[in-house]
Amino acid sequence: MIMTEQGETGEAITILLVEDDAPTCWRLQDALAKAGYEVRSAGTLAEARQALAAGAPRVLLTDLRLPDGHGVELIREMRQRFPDTEIMVISALGDEESVISAITVGATGYLLKDAFPTDIATTVRDLVAGHSPISASIARFIVRRTQGAAQNSAEPPPGPALNTARLTPREIDILWGIAKGFSYAEIASHLGLSKQTVPGHIKNIYRKLEVHTRSEAVFEAVQQGLIKL
Amino acid sequence: MSEIAAKAPTKAPTRPRRRLIASRLVPYLLLQALIVIVTILGIRLLQPSDPDDYAVDDFSAREDGLTRPVTLPHFTSSRYSLADPPIYAGTFTFRSGDAASGWSVFLPRFSNAVEVAVNGVVVLDSRRDTNANRPDRNTPQIAAIPASLLREGGNEITVRLFVWGPLKGFLDTVYVGPDAALRPAYETRTLLFVTLPVVFSAWQAILAVILAIMWLMRRHEPVYGVLATAMVLGVVQAFAPPPVPPATVSHLAAVLLASAPIESALIVVFGVLFFGWRWPRYGTLLFVPGVLVFVVGLIGGPPLPRILFLVLGIPTVGLCLFLMACVTATAVVRRQDAASFTIGCAVTIVLVCWVQDMLTVLDIVSNDRIFVSRLSYSAMLVAIGAGLTWRFARALNQVDSFAGQLVTRVREAEERLKASFAREEERARAAALANERTRLMRDLHDGLGGQLVSIVALSERGSTGASITDAARAALKDLRLVIDSMDDIGGDLMLALGSWRERATAQLRPHDITLDWRVATPQGLPLHPELRPWHVVQIVRILDEAVTNAVKHAQARRIAVTIDTFDAGQGPYGVISVTDDGGGFALAGNGEAAGAGQTARGLRNMKSRAARCGAVLDLTSDSSGTRVRLKLPQRFPDSDMAAG
Repeated sequence: MIMTEQGETGEAITILLVEDDAPTCWRLQDALAKAGYEVRSAGTLAEARQALAAGAPRVLLTDLRLPDGHGVELIREMRQRFPDTEIMVISALGDEESVISAITVGATGYLLKDAFPTDIATTVRDLVAGHSPISASIARFIVRRTQGAAQNSAEPPPGPALNTARLTPREIDILWGIAKGFSYAEIASHLGLSKQTVPGHIKNIYRKLEVHTRSEAVFEAVQQGLIKL
Repeated sequence: MSEIAAKAPTKAPTRPRRRLIASRLVPYLLLQALIVIVTILGIRLLQPSDPDDYAVDDFSAREDGLTRPVTLPHFTSSRYSLADPPIYAGTFTFRSGDAASGWSVFLPRFSNAVEVAVNGVVVLDSRRDTNANRPDRNTPQIAAIPASLLREGGNEITVRLFVWGPLKGFLDTVYVGPDAALRPAYETRTLLFVTLPVVFSAWQAILAVILAIMWLMRRHEPVYGVLATAMVLGVVQAFAPPPVPPATVSHLAAVLLASAPIESALIVVFGVLFFGWRWPRYGTLLFVPGVLVFVVGLIGGPPLPRILFLVLGIPTVGLCLFLMACVTATAVVRRQDAASFTIGCAVTIVLVCWVQDMLTVLDIVSNDRIFVSRLSYSAMLVAIGAGLTWRFARALNQVDSFAGQLVTRVREAEERLKASFAREEERARAAALANERTRLMRDLHDGLGGQLVSIVALSERGSTGASITDAARAALKDLRLVIDSMDDIGGDLMLALGSWRERATAQLRPHDITLDWRVATPQGLPLHPELRPWHVVQIVRILDEAVTNAVKHAQARRIAVTIDTFDAGQGPYGVISVTDDGGGFALAGNGEAAGAGQTARGLRNMKSRAARCGAVLDLTSDSSGTRVRLKLPQRFPDSDMAAG
């Protein structure tokens, strides 16, 4: 196992870990530090903001429920101030509710709190390499929401609001493949793609699901005919 | 004694009924008696008054070569020939002082026709007036006497009375005087006995049309048709030209004038139908006299119809009126409603008029030979027709209000239905929620609960490390499974298997075991719209168990999951196989007793889970590996097959 993770410049990759539960925090920190990352940790939103004053981390890992606020606020701030930072949400169950709300403000994946240390390190490494991880259940949630939008149902579907209008048919096909448990290689061969392009597509999907600002949200809504001006 | 005692109870119930009938019939009969009196008085009072100052009633009548002095009104014998009619000769005094307005001769009543001559010159021949030739219409006649004919002082007047049987000839008092003095009396009689019947007939014609239309639109109510027919007959009778002997007229016109018995029989039919009874078959006999008059009249020609009409027709009319009176009286007793009362009173009036006319015809009552039954009958028909139309209009109103009520009721029913539907929906939702809760409880109890308990037990025993971690991980995994299973996957089991693959891969990675994933068909498994979360939980637990067994007990290095779809002609079904390259259960069983026990229990669990979902589990194990084959059903069962 490689003991030190380094960025393209050779410097150690910095991670800001925001997690209020101390044992979980230690566990993740240990796993990441062992893998060679430079980890700073924060227990609250205030501490996280303080840590940001010193400079932008390469990766932000944040829990959503924090004692003094919601992780979504932090993610949104981060996307605005440091667009290059990769953001991942830490979740106990990886449920759609929390993960999707994080994705819409700019997160590009999630990390399970009980993941094995090796998996934690691998996930972060992939993220830094530009591979946004996506789980079958999140993919399933997104594609089912695209179906719901196509059916034009009068009632808004349960769960967090999600705008799937900008997704291309190909991206939706990829999501279907992931939802059904196919690997990237299998998806690529089914769809006639190169295996290497699949992670890029997933990153695009995340970007398209992100609602950057209020005005953009309004713009989106108008584009989709949700609001009549 | 005993017979009386035995009879008493059977008689008892009829007594109150009789009393009831009596209590209803007696007042009605009293009312009818009152109407009879009023009618008779009315006929007397309505007798038109004539200008008696100008009456000429001393005549000498020459009949069959015999001359004798008579006083008018005078009856003469019936005859069938117009040759040699009775001639009445009289004198009147003319004073030229009264000549300003001209003088007229006025004959209020005669039958059947008169020819009046003054000083030998004919001034009036009533045979040219068709109305005057009807014996049933008391048509008066008036004629101006040309001034040149009149002589100061005594003048001669002769009246030739034409009679055609079977009725006796009749000549009422003749009035000669200034036109101004005679004209009003003439006008009054014309109005009463000529204009009024024509008005009634016109009215009858209109009602006949209305009733005929009603009957055409409502064939199941013949009562309208019967009344319309009666009215048509009445109208035809009123407007048919009466034949004047010796003129040869069609037989048809002759018999149409004698159609009154048929008409009255129709009225009886109407009465019976109107009050809701069935027309008895023998009731047709009532038409026999009328038809007889008709047929004989058609064959024989005049004066046969007239004779038959007198001897057969008029009694039939009377019989019909009597029957009608009985019918209405019964209706009054039974129904006690306005319609039966009104018609009953009308029938009584007509009956009285008929009796009066009969008495007049038979010379029992001297009434200046004014026939009133035809007039009263027409009035009755008009009243009945108007009443029927009124009833029809009222029925239409009832239909309208019924339609309104119906709309209201439908709306109410709709509201009730909506409410009950909402209630039912609420109940169904509550039931579904309760079911889901039960399901969730069982799922949590089966997995998470047991694992948490074992964590507690392990930590109480002070054990550290792997066992607690494994139990906690299993608990988390199960929690994720339960949460995951709640998501709507639209019947596509592949979506649930996709998540499971991720979890299994993560689970196997630390053990360095590879998970081969092979989906034989591009679309994966067939869709199952009936797939429920608890099915998913059971299937995923079976797969978990298979993988856990492979890791823990068979020390496998490679686990392959194959998803395949088969179709044996009865619809497609899926098969999920979990194959490992481990040592198999038999070997593990021999080497490790405890492990074997656990494996056996796990196997039982897997089989029962499969059975609950209607799936079939097949396990083969040998030293080269283990293969768990789960054959999914074509249709997942609605209820938990092993529940309870």
